[in-house]
Amino acid sequence: MTTIASRMAGAAWLRAASPVLLLVVLVVGIGSAAPGFMRLETLGLLLSDTAVLFVMAAGLTFVIMVGGIDLSVQAVASLASVVVAQWLPVLGYAAFPAAILAGLAVGLLSGFVHVRFRIPSFVATLATGGVVAGLALLASHGQTVTILEAGRAQARWVSGSLLGVPDLILIGALVAVGGLIVQRFTPFGRYSAAIGAGEPAAWASGIRVERTKIVAFGISGGLAALAGVLLAARLSSGSPTLANEMLLPAIAAVVVGGTAITGGVGSVARTIVGALIVSIVRIGMTFLNVNIFAQQIVFGAALVLAVAITIDRTKIPIVK
Amino acid sequence: MLRALGIDKSFTGVHALRGVSMEVRPNEVVGLIGENGAVKSTLLRILAGVHRPDGGTIEIDGQAVTIRNAREANAHGIGIVFQEQSLLLNMSVAENIYLGQEAAFTRLGLIDARRRNAAARRQLEKVGLDIEPTRRTAELSFAARQMVELAKALALEERTDRALTILLDEPTSVLESRDIEILFARMRALKARASFVFVSHRLEEVLHVSDRVYVMKDGGVVAERAAGGVSVPDLHQMMVGRGLQTEYYREARQVPPAERVVLQTRGLGVAGAYRDVDLDLHAGEVLGIAGVIGSGREELTRTLFGFLPPTAGTLAVNGTPAVLRSPAEAVARGIGYIPRERRVEGLVMFLSVATNITLARLGAVLRMGLIAHGRERRLAQDWVRRLTIRTPDVATPCRNLSGGNQQKTVLARWMTAKSRILILDHPTRGLDVGAKEEVYELIRALSEDGVAVVLTSDTLEETIGLSHTILVMRDGAVTGRFAAPAGGKPQQVDLVRHMV
Amino acid sequence: MTRPTAQVSAAGRGAAAPEGVWPWLRRRAADWAPAVVLLGICVALAVLNPAFMEPRNLVRVANSAAIPLILAIGATFIIAMGSIDLSVEGVMSLGTMIVAMLAANDANANDFGWWAPLLAVLAASALGAVNGVVHVGLRIPSFMATLGIWFVGRGIANTALGGSAVRVMDPSIRDLALHRMFGMPFAVWIAIACFLCALGVERLTRFGRYVFAIGGGEDIAELSGIAVRRVRVMAFTLAGFFYGIAAVLAAAQLGQSNAVIADGRLFMTVTAVVVGGTALTGGEGGVLNTLIGVLIVGVLANGMVLLGVSPYVHQAVQGLMIIGAVALSTRRSRLQFVK
Repeated sequence: MTTIASRMAGAAWLRAASPVLLLVVLVVGIGSAAPGFMRLETLGLLLSDTAVLFVMAAGLTFVIMVGGIDLSVQAVASLASVVVAQWLPVLGYAAFPAAILAGLAVGLLSGFVHVRFRIPSFVATLATGGVVAGLALLASHGQTVTILEAGRAQARWVSGSLLGVPDLILIGALVAVGGLIVQRFTPFGRYSAAIGAGEPAAWASGIRVERTKIVAFGISGGLAALAGVLLAARLSSGSPTLANEMLLPAIAAVVVGGTAITGGVGSVARTIVGALIVSIVRIGMTFLNVNIFAQQIVFGAALVLAVAITIDRTKIPIVK
Repeated sequence: MLRALGIDKSFTGVHALRGVSMEVRPNEVVGLIGENGAVKSTLLRILAGVHRPDGGTIEIDGQAVTIRNAREANAHGIGIVFQEQSLLLNMSVAENIYLGQEAAFTRLGLIDARRRNAAARRQLEKVGLDIEPTRRTAELSFAARQMVELAKALALEERTDRALTILLDEPTSVLESRDIEILFARMRALKARASFVFVSHRLEEVLHVSDRVYVMKDGGVVAERAAGGVSVPDLHQMMVGRGLQTEYYREARQVPPAERVVLQTRGLGVAGAYRDVDLDLHAGEVLGIAGVIGSGREELTRTLFGFLPPTAGTLAVNGTPAVLRSPAEAVARGIGYIPRERRVEGLVMFLSVATNITLARLGAVLRMGLIAHGRERRLAQDWVRRLTIRTPDVATPCRNLSGGNQQKTVLARWMTAKSRILILDHPTRGLDVGAKEEVYELIRALSEDGVAVVLTSDTLEETIGLSHTILVMRDGAVTGRFAAPAGGKPQQVDLVRHMV
Repeated sequence: MTRPTAQVSAAGRGAAAPEGVWPWLRRRAADWAPAVVLLGICVALAVLNPAFMEPRNLVRVANSAAIPLILAIGATFIIAMGSIDLSVEGVMSLGTMIVAMLAANDANANDFGWWAPLLAVLAASALGAVNGVVHVGLRIPSFMATLGIWFVGRGIANTALGGSAVRVMDPSIRDLALHRMFGMPFAVWIAIACFLCALGVERLTRFGRYVFAIGGGEDIAELSGIAVRRVRVMAFTLAGFFYGIAAVLAAAQLGQSNAVIADGRLFMTVTAVVVGGTALTGGEGGVLNTLIGVLIVGVLANGMVLLGVSPYVHQAVQGLMIIGAVALSTRRSRLQFVK
C-alpha cells in the first residue's frame, strides 16, 4: 500500500519535473548546436516572443484548471488588437484598458453562456469566438489597422525596454507573478483547483462553482486581450486575424507544461515552462530549417501526446 | 437449473457478498429479500455478467460456467431487468428490444425494420403490451418501459435453447398497483417458459408471486423458505439479526438532546420521491432515518443539504425560514454533509488533507484576503491530532488515506466550518470495524457538543444504536416515529414492520 | 446512474407517458422548430426582397450550401455520438491540397486525372480514422484529439503547398462542381447524393443505429454488446470520408487549393449541425436535421447579402445562433457536470 502510494508520488514528481527537464535539454541541445542561440539578444528576442504567448496561455491555464477550455482566445486577442489600433488616436492611453476590458467582458460572457446554458465550454467558446471574430472583422472592415506615429509613442510601454530588459519580458513576468499569487493565495485560486480536481466534492463543500468558473473565463478573456494588445503594440498594427495562429501554441503551452486537460492539476508556473518549450521548439525548428507550416504538424502531434500523458482518466469514465 | 455456490464479492464502499448460495429451479419464481438493496443488486448483476465474482461458482444444469459479460449471460439464457431502467430513451421500442441483435434482421447490410418491428411486436405481445414497436421509448410511461424491459429480456428465447432465467431487480418500485398486478399475471403466465428471480422490498408482493424465498442479511443468505409456509412477520424476524452490540455504538455516552429546535420541516416533499415530512431536529440530537431503497429517505437527506430543492412544504434553520437551492446555501446556514460517495462528493481526492479541511471555510485561514499557508497548515495539523487522522502529513493528497481517515477528514472540514447541523449520509459505508467505531465516537462527541445530526445508515443496528429519535419511511411517506433513548432502544423488528 | 425519480404514472400500462397537451406540444415544437425557423426566414426574405425567390438566386443558395452540407453530414455522425470533431478544417485542407497537387496543376507536372480526387477522399478518410484511433486508443476526449489532428492536417497541406495557391488545371475535375445538370451545378447533385447515402446509413444500417445508441447511453450500448470503440473509429472515418468529398468539391469549385480554403468551415459546420437540432449531448437529431440546419445558415447568409448586410455580421450571427440553439435544446438540470 505504502509502496504503491510512494511509487505513485514518484510518478507524479517525475511528471511534474519532466517539462523542466525537457526545457533544459532543449536549451542545452540548441545552445550547443547553434552557438548564436545563447547570445543575449537572441535570448531577449526569444523571451519577448514567449511573453505574448505566455500571457495568453496563462489566461487559458485558469480555464483549463477548472476543467474547461477556451477556444475563443485568438479571436479575443485579435479583437483587442483592432480596438487598440482604432481607438488609440481617439482615447489615447485609455484605449489599452478599453481593449482589455472588452476581452474581460467577452470572457465573462463565455463563462456565463457555458455555465448558465450548460453548454460544453468548447462549443460555448467556439460560438463566442465566432461572434467576436465577426465583430473584429466588422470594426476593421476586414483590414489591417496601422498604428500611426503618435500611437506608437503611446505603445512605448510595450515596445520599449527598462534597464536593458525588454518591457514585454517584464509584463510577462508581472502576469506570471500575479497569476501565481491568484492561484496560490486567493480563495478563487483554491476553489478553481478544487473544482477541476473534483467538481462534485467542491460543490458539496459549498463552493459556488458557477461563479468561480465564470471568473476563470473572465481572466482568460482579459489576458487574451492583453496578449492582443501586446501584439498590436509590438507590430504597430491591429488586425482581425492578427492572433489567428496562436490558439494551438497557447493550448500546447499549457498542456506541455504539465497542466492536465481534465483540470485540477497545474499552475501558471508550469505554463511558463510550457510556453518556453513551445517557443524554443519553434525557434529550434527554424534553425533546423523546418518549414513554418510543418511546425503545425509537430505542435498538433505534441498536443495530442501531452494531453494523453497528463490526462486523468479516472475522472472521465466515458471518454466522449 | 441455475445454481450459485459460495459467491463472494467485495468492492470499496459497497457491501460485499459473503459466500452466497442459491438455486433457481426450472419454472419457478424465486423471491429475494433483505434489508440492504445493494447486496441483492450485486448478486443479480453477477449472475447477469455485469460484475465478476471474487469467489464461488455458478452452475447451469450442473455445469460450472463463467459469465464474463451480458452476452455470455444471454447465451446461458440469463436475462436481467435492471432496477434503474436501462433502455435508450432516444430509440424506438423495437430498437431497444433488439439492440445489439440486429444481425438477425440485416440483409445486405441494411436492417429490415419491418421484420424487426414485427418480431418486436411478438415480444410485446408476450408481456401483454399493446403499443407500436416504432414508438419512441421516451414517450412511454415508466410502467410501459418496465414491460418493454421484460420483453427485451424474454426475447432471449429466440437466441438460446437454454431454459430462461429472468432476473428482476425491484421491478415494482416505480409501478402502480394495477400495473404490478399485470406484471405478476404475466410472470405467472410466463412461468411455463422461464424462471424468475424477483427482488422487491415489499414483502407481501414477494410472498404473493414467489414459490420460494431467500432472505439475505449482512451479505449472506440467512434463510430459505417455501413461500406458502411463511408469513410477513416471520420474514421480518429473519431479516433482523441477533445479538445487538449496544456498547459498540457508545450508547452509554448518549446524552439527551437540548430543547432548542435547529432544523424544522413542515409538509416537506419532492414530487415523485417523498411527501409530507414534518421533522424537528434539536441541538445535540441524532435523528436516524430508516427506510429501504425507494422509501424517499435518500432524497430527503439530499433536500436537507440543498442538492434537491423541495417542491412542497417549508424548511427552517434556527427558526428562520430557509430555501436551500444549492449546497452553498446550506453551508452558509451552518449545515454540513458527509456523503456516502466519499470519493466523489466527500473529498477532492487529489488535493491535500489541509486543503480539504479548510475548503468549506477558507475564511478561517485568510489574512488580508489571502490564504496564509502557515496558518492553514497549523489548523489542519490541529484537526489531524484531535481526530487522530492517520496521515504522513497534512500536505498528503487525500487519496492516499484509508477510508476511515478520509471520513474523519470530511468531518474535520465541517468542524472547521463550525457546522451545527450535520447530514450524515451512510457515514460508515465501506469502513472496517475499527474505523467505524472511531466514527461512532466522533458522532457521540459532536452530539454531546450540541451539534445536531441527521443520520441514514446501511444497517438498522447502527441507526438504532446511534439515534435519539428514529423516523421510519416507506414509499415516500413517514410511517413511524420512535424514541430511542439510551437504555430504551426500539426493537429492529418494530422498525422493519414500518419499513416493508 | 440516477434513476429518474419515480414519477408515479397515472395513465395505465401501454399508454403514453402521462403528460399534458402542453408538454407534448412543446416537445413536438422542439422537433419542428428548425423547419419552422427555416420556413419563417424564407417567407420573410421573400417579402423583404422578391429577388430571393428568383430561380437564379435559389440555385445560388443551393450551390453555396452544397459543401457545407457535406461537411455537416460528416460531423452529424460524430455529434450524434456525443463527441465533437474540430478537425474539419484540417482534414479538408489536406483533401484540397491532394486534389490540387495530383491533378493537372500549375505547381508541378502531375496529372493523375481521376486518381486525384479519389486519393484525396481516401487520405481524408484515413485522417478521420486517425482521429478515431487517437481518441479511442489514447482515451483522450475527442475535442482534444481532433484539435491536434486539425493542425496536423493543416500543417501537412500548407507544407505541401508551400504557402502559395495551387491552381487546378484539369477541366474534368473542375466540372465536378461547375458542370450543370438540369440547371443545377453538379456539386449540388453530389451533395444530394451524399445526403441520401448518409440518411440510409443513419436509418438503415447497424452502424447508424449504434451511433445513436452510443449517443443515447454509452454504458447501455456497451451492455448490449455493441463494440463501442469500433463504432467510434468507424464514425470518425466516415466523417473524414465526407470531409474528403467536400474538399474535392471545394478544390473543383474554386479551381485551386490554398492555405485559407478551409478557414471558417468548422464554425459553419458546427453551427449548421446544432441549429438543425442535433443535440451536442448525442443521441438526438440526425442527417435530416442537419440538412435543415445547413439551409437555415445558407439562406440567412444569402438573405443578408441580398439585404446588403455586411458579411462580417453574418459570422457574429452564426455564433449567436449556436448559443441560442444549444440553450433552447438543453434540458437544464443539475444531474451531471458539464465541462
